[in-house]
Amino acid sequence: MSNRTNVGGWLKGKTVRKGGITSSNGHTARSSTPQVQSTSSTVFSGGVKDASGRTTEYFSMDDQCPVCKSDRYLNPKLRLLVSSCYHKMCESCIDRLFTLGPAPCPICQKVLRKLAFTPQTFEDLTVEKEVAVRRRIAKEFNKRREDFPDLHTYNDYLEEVEDITFNLINDIDVPQTEARIAAHRTENAVLIELNLQREEQYAHALREQEELERQEKEQRALELRREVEIEREERETSQREIIDRLETSTKDAAKVIAKSRAEAMKRSSARTTTSTVLRSSAQLLRARAAQSTVIPDPPHIPLQDNWDSYEDLYTLKDQYDDMYSDAVRKDREGIMRAGGYRVEEAWDRALRCAVAGLDLPPLPGLNPSPERTDVAMASV
Amino acid sequence: MAADSAANVVDAQVNSSIGKISLYEGSTQYKSWRYSPEQLERIRISLNVAAVAAIRNTFEADEPGSSSNVLFLGAGEEQLLVKLYITKIPQLCGHFRFPEEVEATAISYLKRFYLKNTVMDWHPKNVMLTTLFLATKTTNNPISLESYTSNIPKTSSSDVLDLEFLVSQSLNFELAVWHAHRALWGIWLDLQSLPDVTEDLRPQDIYDIAIKHVRASRFTDAELIYTPSQIALASLALASPLLAQRWADSKAPPGSIQPLSETMEPTLGAIKYIITQMGHPPDVEAVREVDRRLKLCKNPEKVPGSKAYLARQAEEQRRAEEKRHKKAEDVRRAITESNPFGNELNDDEKATQLAELDDDD
Amino acid sequence: MDAVEKANAERQKRWVKDRKVGEGTYAVVYQGREASTGRKVAIKKIKVGQFKDGLDMSAIREVKYLRELHHQNIIELLDVFSSKTNLNLVLEFLDSDLEMIIQDRSLVFLPADIKAWMAMTLRGLEFCHRNFMLHRDLKPNNLLIASDGQLKIADFGLARDFADPGHKMTCQVITRWYRPPELLFGCRYYSSAVDIWSVGCIFAELMLRTPYLPGESDMDQLKTIFRALGTPTEEDWPGHTKLPDYVPVGQFPRTPLRDLFTAASGDTLNLLSRFLVYEPRKRISVRDALNHAYFFALPHPSHPSKLPKPATQTSRPLEELDGNVEMAGAGPGVKANAPNKLKRKLTSPDGTELRPLARRLDFTQLAKHS
Repeated sequence: MSNRTNVGGWLKGKTVRKGGITSSNGHTARSSTPQVQSTSSTVFSGGVKDASGRTTEYFSMDDQCPVCKSDRYLNPKLRLLVSSCYHKMCESCIDRLFTLGPAPCPICQKVLRKLAFTPQTFEDLTVEKEVAVRRRIAKEFNKRREDFPDLHTYNDYLEEVEDITFNLINDIDVPQTEARIAAHRTENAVLIELNLQREEQYAHALREQEELERQEKEQRALELRREVEIEREERETSQREIIDRLETSTKDAAKVIAKSRAEAMKRSSARTTTSTVLRSSAQLLRARAAQSTVIPDPPHIPLQDNWDSYEDLYTLKDQYDDMYSDAVRKDREGIMRAGGYRVEEAWDRALRCAVAGLDLPPLPGLNPSPERTDVAMASV
Repeated sequence: MAADSAANVVDAQVNSSIGKISLYEGSTQYKSWRYSPEQLERIRISLNVAAVAAIRNTFEADEPGSSSNVLFLGAGEEQLLVKLYITKIPQLCGHFRFPEEVEATAISYLKRFYLKNTVMDWHPKNVMLTTLFLATKTTNNPISLESYTSNIPKTSSSDVLDLEFLVSQSLNFELAVWHAHRALWGIWLDLQSLPDVTEDLRPQDIYDIAIKHVRASRFTDAELIYTPSQIALASLALASPLLAQRWADSKAPPGSIQPLSETMEPTLGAIKYIITQMGHPPDVEAVREVDRRLKLCKNPEKVPGSKAYLARQAEEQRRAEEKRHKKAEDVRRAITESNPFGNELNDDEKATQLAELDDDD
Repeated sequence: MDAVEKANAERQKRWVKDRKVGEGTYAVVYQGREASTGRKVAIKKIKVGQFKDGLDMSAIREVKYLRELHHQNIIELLDVFSSKTNLNLVLEFLDSDLEMIIQDRSLVFLPADIKAWMAMTLRGLEFCHRNFMLHRDLKPNNLLIASDGQLKIADFGLARDFADPGHKMTCQVITRWYRPPELLFGCRYYSSAVDIWSVGCIFAELMLRTPYLPGESDMDQLKTIFRALGTPTEEDWPGHTKLPDYVPVGQFPRTPLRDLFTAASGDTLNLLSRFLVYEPRKRISVRDALNHAYFFALPHPSHPSKLPKPATQTSRPLEELDGNVEMAGAGPGVKANAPNKLKRKLTSPDGTELRPLARRLDFTQLAKHS
């Protein structure tokens, strides 16, 4: 999994991705100076590594290696890396000092290994250190407000965390602080693990969402292009229509054009409405697809109730000899016809009345059913 | 024989609608306003007895010993009075030219009202006017109160409006009524589907006679015992037994042993009896006598202006005042004692208080 | 009298009012529950004695019809109780309605969803028509949605029985945008086809996400209809020029529905066009609509539990203390009050876990609406 960083690339400030390829400029295998591998498999607890690989390495024309005093002018390929004790030095020095094994840091004498160096992210090394500390603490102390019974205890916890962080950043009472961290870890192992998982999911979901958004953007662009096309066509046809209408109609020309414009507006506004609906359907479809496997959609059943409306007890005819609806059927003006009055509906209702309850026996004697409180309450 | 026919009828019911409930059986008319003759009698008697006892107490409270001379009405006499006012409804409807639907509905409402109330509390005159007014609304033939009362002599708006809510309440707000006259119309139409019934077999005058019987049935208890279709069929049977029989037989479910006209004979016979024997207006003199006695024994609590009425009102007002006081007290306490900031826990309490405040019951 | 009151008091005890959720011109709506089971209900308290003609007709109609109709797709009246001056209707509690769902732009409709809603609406309407009842006020606002996704027709304030022959009916019914042309032309003898036209408009609105025929006045409504569907000829609609309020409105050509409903299938367009036929007698009946190929074609109608729903409204407590919040619409709609439109930023498409996981600082709502 070797990674060849493109030196020319990062001079220009291009992105260096973890384990990845520089975004442009392709690969140029520069083999002269040995490269430090900056993959996430590096066991290193200092420095700041950006997981998404989007931040660029810190870079300045004034960079100078404190050990060998070389600078960019003399050595264009100069690259400064940071140690776990937060001291900078150039790659050649690192190579010189540590290739044969662990050695003390030239500045602070702390014993270091060659692997213990990372590229710098921040201009200010103190910031780099702080960020690194905070990142580490955040992993260890990841409780949330919900994990506490009340606001007070939550605030106490936060204060404790801040205290620890401060100590570590400023190298105060480091062993005791480390002990406190260890103690916390053992006490809350389960909860920490849980929260870790939750964050993991969150990050994962975030990635998915971004992916979806990107897809949607693409789709939208496509749609837009199509719409523009349609609009153009429509405009052409409406132009032709206007000309036709102007030729054939006797109305005022301005009015005809205004009418056509209004129609075109209506069409386009309706179109935009429909297209907004289509836009995020991709996202929902995915969620729905997941749901469908759990609850299936049953096929359509026209009527689902249990009511018997006596339909098998009579047949409705189209025509009846009926004195009540004479007027309706003779209706010369067609008022009732145009309005849609259906005398058949009145007949249907009468026929239903005629058969409803025909076979229901009357209540016998004095024994009421329990719901009939009125009868039950009557006592002599 | 009767048991057999009853069993057959039940079978028919089960076979024709397995697992389904018929629409009529889902109606409030079927569920709440259906009685046997025995039940009707018992209800009326018990209502009457309870009313007499209550009114007697009111008399006694007002003036001890005054009630011993009073001749209270019996249940039968109450019915007589109600029946008279039932007969007035068709007259009014003719005057206003209300459709038959309105007339039939109003009559039903009046009958049902007096299954929950006594005439000694509420005289049928205004109740009748109110039921008719209500019926115009519930059947979608509304008329303005103004034009209603101005067309009825000696009637004010309050005569009608004051009782409207009471009537609706007594009906339990069950306002949809199925009627026999529509069923008769349906039978008449359906006869035209029978191959063996030719046009000469169904002249118009048979229908006219049958509808007269339906109208007569409205003066009886028939609709409280039987279904509208049964009443219609019985009415037709009185006008033309042949047509009724032919039609009924055509409705028998397939595979039944007896023709439907036979199985239904007991039911139809009973209805025919009711219509012919009790389907005419009561003797006016007898009613007048009852009305006279009613003046002396009616419930003073219901008569505006009487001592008992005012006493009752005062009592009710006192109770309402008490309730209002209590609420005001609660509210005051809530406002002064509550913590303006940390009230999360008391949200429910406060909410109920707010809700109760709106209740102007 | 006392017996009646006593019975009422008994019934009243069954139901507990929790808090007010809306107020209209003649009714106040409370959210409540059944005392014994805790089941959520809406209690509509109608003030009586306010009108010069006594009990209000809308209240009467609601009570009358809801008492008799019991169907899965019609709002259920659980109980009625009354005190001296109030009529209380206990209805099932429904939090949202179709209008809210259509206007909530964060929800996306699948064709299967639209099919499901249409099927439920038609079933409820079919039951009304089967009971010889016209609803006469169908619109998305009156189609309420239960928590399990079932659609229920509500607001029977304008309903009535089908007319006996020769009986005139009023033509001033149905909200303008959903009103069929025969009513706009003042017809007094109509039939169940008027409800079908409304259903057609709702169908179109479900697809367009905006009202299909929004006219600004009765005259403008006619124009809007004709512009969309073409002016009817005597052949299309015999006798329409003889209707009481007929006026010529302009000659517009008929544009094919496909031009506007670009995403719709052939079955969909066919059904929609059958809903919006000019001649009322030729308009599809509700039963035929339920048996139309559109419903049997794939995709199947979505299962009600999967239908999109607006996000839960955490803005409730604010509105509670607000007191007299105006109810949407003049009539007795019984859903919980529609949330203040300004508060509608709280959303997350139902079912997806992605959105809520966004940044800890809650700028998501703003970002989402860009």
